[in-house]
Amino acid sequence: MRTLLWLQGGACGGNSLSLLNASDPDLLLFFEQHKIKLLWHPSLSLENNIEKILNDIRNGKITLDILVFEGTIIRGPNNTGTFNLFAGKPMKDWISEISPLANYIIAVGDCASFGGIPASDPNPTQSTGLQFHKKEKGGFLGQKFRSKSGFPVINISGCPAHPTWILTTISMIVEGKLTEDLLDEYNRPKIFYSTTTQFGCPRQPYFTYKIASNELGHREGCLYFELGCRGPMTRSPCNNILWNNQSSKTRVGTPCMGCTEFDFPTFNFFKTEKNRSGLPKNLPIGMSRGSYITFSAIARGSAPQFLTKPLIKKRGDWIE
Amino acid sequence: MIGLNEKIISPLNRVEGDLDLKVELKGNKVVKAYPMSRLFRGIEIILKNKSPMDSLVITPRVCGICGGSHLYSTVRALDMAYKAEVPPNGVLIRNIMSLAEMGQNDVRHTYLMFLIDSVNKKYESFPFYKDMVLRWAPFYGSSYKEAVKWSKKYTEIYAIFGGQWPHGSSMVPGGVTAEPYPDDIMKAKAIIKEISSELVEKVMIGGPTEQFLSVKSMKDLNQWCEDYPNGDICKIWIYGKEMKWDKLGKGSDYLMSFGHVPLDEKYNQENPELMFKSGILNLNNFETLQLNQENFLEFVSKSYYTYSSGDIGLHPFQGETNPIPPISKDKYTFTKAFRYKLKDKLIAPEVGALSMLAVGGNDLILDLLKHLGTNVLLREIARFIRIVLINKIIEEQLEKYKFGEPTYKKPDEVKDSQGYGLIEASRGSLGHWIVIKDGKIQNYQIITPTQINMGPEDPYGNLSHMSLALVGTEVENIDNPIEVAHIVRSHDACMVCNVHFFDNKEKMVLKL
Repeated sequence: MRTLLWLQGGACGGNSLSLLNASDPDLLLFFEQHKIKLLWHPSLSLENNIEKILNDIRNGKITLDILVFEGTIIRGPNNTGTFNLFAGKPMKDWISEISPLANYIIAVGDCASFGGIPASDPNPTQSTGLQFHKKEKGGFLGQKFRSKSGFPVINISGCPAHPTWILTTISMIVEGKLTEDLLDEYNRPKIFYSTTTQFGCPRQPYFTYKIASNELGHREGCLYFELGCRGPMTRSPCNNILWNNQSSKTRVGTPCMGCTEFDFPTFNFFKTEKNRSGLPKNLPIGMSRGSYITFSAIARGSAPQFLTKPLIKKRGDWIE
Repeated sequence: MIGLNEKIISPLNRVEGDLDLKVELKGNKVVKAYPMSRLFRGIEIILKNKSPMDSLVITPRVCGICGGSHLYSTVRALDMAYKAEVPPNGVLIRNIMSLAEMGQNDVRHTYLMFLIDSVNKKYESFPFYKDMVLRWAPFYGSSYKEAVKWSKKYTEIYAIFGGQWPHGSSMVPGGVTAEPYPDDIMKAKAIIKEISSELVEKVMIGGPTEQFLSVKSMKDLNQWCEDYPNGDICKIWIYGKEMKWDKLGKGSDYLMSFGHVPLDEKYNQENPELMFKSGILNLNNFETLQLNQENFLEFVSKSYYTYSSGDIGLHPFQGETNPIPPISKDKYTFTKAFRYKLKDKLIAPEVGALSMLAVGGNDLILDLLKHLGTNVLLREIARFIRIVLINKIIEEQLEKYKFGEPTYKKPDEVKDSQGYGLIEASRGSLGHWIVIKDGKIQNYQIITPTQINMGPEDPYGNLSHMSLALVGTEVENIDNPIEVAHIVRSHDACMVCNVHFFDNKEKMVLKL
């Protein structure tokens, strides 16, 4: 049996709720199949013996295989951590004490990975991620921190993280199949964070031929050019591993907010920021301005006609 | 200040923060209760000076279990500020998403948070204990397993229209971002029908929906339990009374609801006509008073905040969020005290499923209230009834959707404006207030149901509903204060609710 402990810091609980949406296997089956003993979880545990569990981990009575942390590490106010008291003391102090004792540590969600919304300007709670603060390596535990297995904190970013991303990562750890070269520069499993949100997006042809959706509430057209979609700049499998077995943001016309990235939230959502020549300020990952301009001109000119007008005639159609 | 009989319950976790509870006992009786919120995340501060549309992305993240409700509140506030018109399809889709989230919550609350306490050792000697364990024990109970399986199906309905749950941002001023096709509608209809037949009818109510909808009184409910004795509603109704849950946790004399589910055809931002009416029900005479948001006030005399103007109450449009370190002697929570100004009185009402249905005029709930008053058992029964109602409404709203008609109408941008959005979230009344200046958010204030129920006392010494509900409670075994847990959990403080007892050195002495 492997032991797993799930704690929440400056969290909304969204990752826990996301976890409950897991299917194939669902959460109960997953624990059974992977022989995982859930030491404690704030929403699933019947017993409220968390302080005893934490103390038993500290004095070596319990081996902690996997520590999962959701939410930010709250350091405020004035580095006291008292904006987040848990079982009588600041959560940050509990984390300092038990982190070195865990074999693996997983940060679930953008808050635990990078600081997320609470750490955004003006960061009223002095929030930070476990091992990153936004883009900077370090975070709460420090750049050099390694858990007992030798791994850095494994980040499963996203607001929230998808249950499949979480459970697959845990299963790879339990089965001994996770190696460090499978993590990207932000310590995220590459199997989920090497592609961008555009992979699998049904609007991809509109992106290719530079056909913009100028208004919300429509199924056709690309949301990147006018409506602030961060799909081309965001590493996530959201359009391949669908949400709740059904959909994704861009599929329902909501621009990707970039919630798996270190800079989430970027603010000024729903509007594409442009520079003076009218180009989007943020270009797709790895694309130069020059090639973007060339690509756009050719693409627009060679767009298949059926993409430049609505596929089905409806009231309120948007494409010019 | 801390005496020998005081116990601190920590953490009493909730989704948007950790909640601790300090109770003072005389013998076995709770004589004082202090709900303490121990987490501050500063969302209202972060929203300042941002673009108003950013609130659509930030506020769902206030809460992981009712993010869709925060989104709905936000979008209603923005509708008002932008003077947006919303096409009927847009209203329908918003309602469907909001109700699907509520269904998810009601199932998870009932089985994952509340009913698992029925396996508590206090009830071991009851003859029906084994039946409760077989049904409701965590991880193993038959109903528990069904709840884990079906609650996530509600989130599939949400995702069909909202892209993902939790934390979609698909409601926008003027409607929704989605343009559902008939296959989306068909799928959602199939899922809600399947939930109705496999979870609600087979597990929760034990009989046909249509017939349950004609249960209008306590007498009818007793008859239903004779006809369909295997549903969980009958088990909890009968066992609950044996365990005296109907005598536990009466609090405020007032039930409040902000109202819910705007009618699609007549939507307007100021005063939409609602399926579940808004108002305040006075339990002493069963009169319903009209609700006016201008009478809302928030106090911080016992909260870890300061107001620039001292201890006076502020309306959310003038609201301030200035946190201070949680070490003050007189203050004990990060929750502000919500009060409703009724003539010369300050009311601290109860909110939640029971209030929503009672104020909304549900006959069965009103009859049960007249017989039993408010209590732990009725709060749970209310969620069973609400699930049946909202499943039905989701089906009807899906039926009304017209493919080919718009779901969104773009509003004009605004520079200086304000608006508020009042809705019923899963665990009670939720309101957002936005003030926009020079195209930026100048002030953003949120009033949550947990805050309304579990705020501290106001400067005049009036207690909030939760404290009233706890004071006077007899705890049978002080080492196993399950009664206190029932009262707190019946309010759905959150599904991540846990209760610990600590002594005055914050060392755990009691646990549940």
